[in-house]
Amino acid sequence: MLQLSGVSYRYAGYSNEVLHDIDLRLDDGEIIGLVGPNEAGKSTLCLVASGLAPASIGGSLRGSLTLDGVPAAGLATHKLAERVVIGFQNPNTQRSGIAATVFEEIALGPMNLGLPVAETVERTRAAIARLRLDDLIRRDPQRLSGGQAQLVGIASLLAMQPRHVILDEPTAQLDPAGTRLVGEALRALATTGTSLLIAEHKTDLLDGLCSRIIAIDGGRIVLDGPTATVFDDPRLAALGVEPPARARLARALGDRGLEGSIVEDALAGAAS
Amino acid sequence: MIAGVAGRLVRISALLTLPIAISVILVSVFTRAGTHVLFTIGPFDATTEGVDFAGQTLVRLFAISTSIGLFGLTTEPRSFVLDLERRGLSPRFAFVALATLEAVPAMVERANIIASAQRARGLDTEGSVRARLRGLLPLAGPVVLSSLTEVEERSLALEVRAFGKPGRRELLWRMPDSTAQLAVRAILVLALIAAIGGRITNTFPRLP
Amino acid sequence: MSVATPATPSAPAAGQPVLATERLVHVYPGGTRAVDGVALAIAAGERVAIVGQNGSGKTTLVRHFNGLLRPTDGRVLVGGEDAVGRRVADLARTVGLAFQDPDRQIFAGKVRAEVAFGPRNLGLSGNELDEAVGAALAATGLDGEADTNPYDLGYSRRKLLALASILAMGTPVVILDEPTTGQDARGVARVQRIVADLAAAGRTVVAISHDMRFVAEAFERVVVMRDGRIVLDGSPTEAFAEAAWPTLASTFLEAPLAARIGAHLGLGSTPTDEALLAGLDSAAAASAAADT
Repeated sequence: MLQLSGVSYRYAGYSNEVLHDIDLRLDDGEIIGLVGPNEAGKSTLCLVASGLAPASIGGSLRGSLTLDGVPAAGLATHKLAERVVIGFQNPNTQRSGIAATVFEEIALGPMNLGLPVAETVERTRAAIARLRLDDLIRRDPQRLSGGQAQLVGIASLLAMQPRHVILDEPTAQLDPAGTRLVGEALRALATTGTSLLIAEHKTDLLDGLCSRIIAIDGGRIVLDGPTATVFDDPRLAALGVEPPARARLARALGDRGLEGSIVEDALAGAAS
Repeated sequence: MIAGVAGRLVRISALLTLPIAISVILVSVFTRAGTHVLFTIGPFDATTEGVDFAGQTLVRLFAISTSIGLFGLTTEPRSFVLDLERRGLSPRFAFVALATLEAVPAMVERANIIASAQRARGLDTEGSVRARLRGLLPLAGPVVLSSLTEVEERSLALEVRAFGKPGRRELLWRMPDSTAQLAVRAILVLALIAAIGGRITNTFPRLP
Repeated sequence: MSVATPATPSAPAAGQPVLATERLVHVYPGGTRAVDGVALAIAAGERVAIVGQNGSGKTTLVRHFNGLLRPTDGRVLVGGEDAVGRRVADLARTVGLAFQDPDRQIFAGKVRAEVAFGPRNLGLSGNELDEAVGAALAATGLDGEADTNPYDLGYSRRKLLALASILAMGTPVVILDEPTTGQDARGVARVQRIVADLAAAGRTVVAISHDMRFVAEAFERVVVMRDGRIVLDGSPTEAFAEAAWPTLASTFLEAPLAARIGAHLGLGSTPTDEALLAGLDSAAAASAAADT
C-alpha cells in the first residue's frame, strides 16, 4: 500500500507550495486515475508519490509518504525503486541509451539491482510476456514507434517488480494505435496485483481501466471516488477536465429523456 | 580482420599525421644543427642530420597514429566498455562512456529537427554569411536548452531503474575470447618487451 | 480576440488552390516511400484536417508546402506557383508551419522575443511587429506572460507559445502539426477557437491531428492517409459515416463516439455531438408529427 498523508510540497528554489494537504491511498492491485487541468499539480503529485520528490530532485515535503508501511523519508532512490517506479510521457527520455536490443533495455533495471544473471533473465522474460513484447526483443530500442517505445519503457519498469507503478501521461505523445497498445498493456498489468496510479487527459482511456478517479486542481484534491461517480460529476467540466465521451453523451441523451444504455449499446456494437 | 582495415588504417594514420608532419619536416630539416648540407634556401640550410631527425620523428608519429587508428577501427566500443566493467570498471563510468557514444546520432537528429523548425519560421540558412551568423543562436540555443531540460527527466528515469545503486552488478554479457586471441595478445606483449629491450641495449641496426 | 491579418505575398488567382500537389512522391534516403503519389488541392480559406496513423505520410506531405522537403517526383504548388527553386525562407511568407515539439524551436529568454522571431525574419518591425506579436499572444492566452522565460511555462503552454510564434507571422496558410497533444480541455478549446478565427480571417488552416473529436468539430474537410496515399477525402460527415469505418480502421482510427451512437440509432452520419443532438431532436419532432 502506498500512502500519502497530509502532504504539501515545494520545489527547490521556489517559495510557494504546489501541493497542499494531499491524502492519497493506493491499495495493492488498485488502479487509480489522476485527472486535472494542466499545471494543477498532477506531475508533481506523481513525483511525490514515487518518492523522487524530494529524494532526487530536492525541495521540501511536509507530511509523509509511506510505502508498504515503511516511511520513504531518507530512503535512497534505488531503495525507493524497489517498491515504486514512475514512468513519464516522453518515450525518448525513458530509454537508457546504452542498450543494443529491447531485451537488454528491459534487463538493465534488474541488472542494476545487482541480481544474479538467472534472476535478471527471469524478470525480463516475465515483463516481456506480460506486455506481449516477444516480437520486439531483438529490435533496436532507438528505432521503435512511439507506442512501442513507451511499452518498452513500461516493461523496463515492470522488470523491477515493483509493488506500485506510477505513470505520468503515458499516452500523451502517442497516436491512437499507440494509445490502444498501451491501454491494453495496462489492462494486462492490472490483473497482476500491481497497483497503478495513472495521470491522464484521456478520460476515455481511464474510464475502462480505473476503479477510482482523483481530480486535482490548484494542488488540492477536489474529487476522489469511484470512476463512474467522478466521471458523472458535473463539477468535472468546470475543473477543465473533459469527461469521457461516454459520460458526456449519456448525459446529453439523458437530458432528452433517452436511456444512457444506448451509449453502451453503441459502444458494444462498434466492438463487435 | 586486420587485412580488412589495413587500407583504411593507412589512410587514416596518414591523414592524422599530415598536419604535424608538414611542420616537423619544415622545422627539423632546416633548423637542425648539422654539418652535411644538402641544399640551401635563403638563409636556411637543409642538412642530412635534419632529414634524419625528421625521418625518425615522422616514423614515431606514424606509429602512434597507426596504433590509435587500429584501436578505433577494430574495437567495438560497446564490447570494449562492457568488458572493462567486467574486469572491474565502475558501472557508472561504463554508463557514461556508452551513453556518450550513443548520444551523437541522437544529437544530430535533434539538430536537424531544430534547423527545420527555425527555417519554417523564416530563418535564412542559405543567404549571406551575416545572415547565417545571426542564425547561430536560434539553431544552437534549442539544442542546448532542450538537451538540458531533458536531462532532469532522463536522470530521474535512470534513478528509477537503479542506475544510482552503488556496487557491482552481474552483467548479462560475456565477451567471447578465443585461444587465438589470447595467443596473439601474449605474442604482442612479448614483442613489446623485446622492442623495449632492443632499444635499451641498442641492438637495432642503424639506417645508412 | 483576433489573429493578425495576413501578410501580402502573391495570392493565387481566384478559384485556384492555395496549396496543391500533383502525383507527389517522396522517398527518403534510406528508401522509405513516405508519400506515394498524392494529388491534393486545398482552396484558400479551407479548414483541412489530415489524419492517419504515424508513418502514413502526413508530416512528410505537409513539409513539402514550405519547401523543407522537395519532391522525389511530382509537383508541389504553393500560391499557384511551383515550389521548386523557391527557398524555404521565401515560402515561409506564405506557409507557416508549427512543429509538434515546442522545445525544438524555443531559444529566446522571453516569450515576447520568441514570438517576434518569425515575423522579424519576414521583415516586420516597429509598430507592425508589436501588433503582430500582441495579437498572437492574446489569441494563445499568453498576453500575461510576455516577459516570462519560456521554460518557466509548462509544456502545454510552451506548445501554445510555438503556435503563437507561427500565428504572428501572419501567413495566409497555417499548418499545425498535432496542435492538441498534451493540452487539457481548456487548451483544446483555445486551439479550436484559434482555428475558427483564422478561417474567419480568410486564412487557410491545415492540421495534422489524431484527436478525432477535435477534427470533427473544428474542420470542414478530413483527409485520411495510409501508407503514403490518400484513402479518404471528404467532409467530417462523409469521413465518419458508417460506410467509411472500415477505411478508418485500416489506419487504426475510429470515428468519434457521437458518430457511432448516431449510426447505432439509425440517424445517419452524426460526426459531432451537435449533429447527434440535432438528429435526435429532428427524429423526435418527426415521430411527434407522425403521431398527430
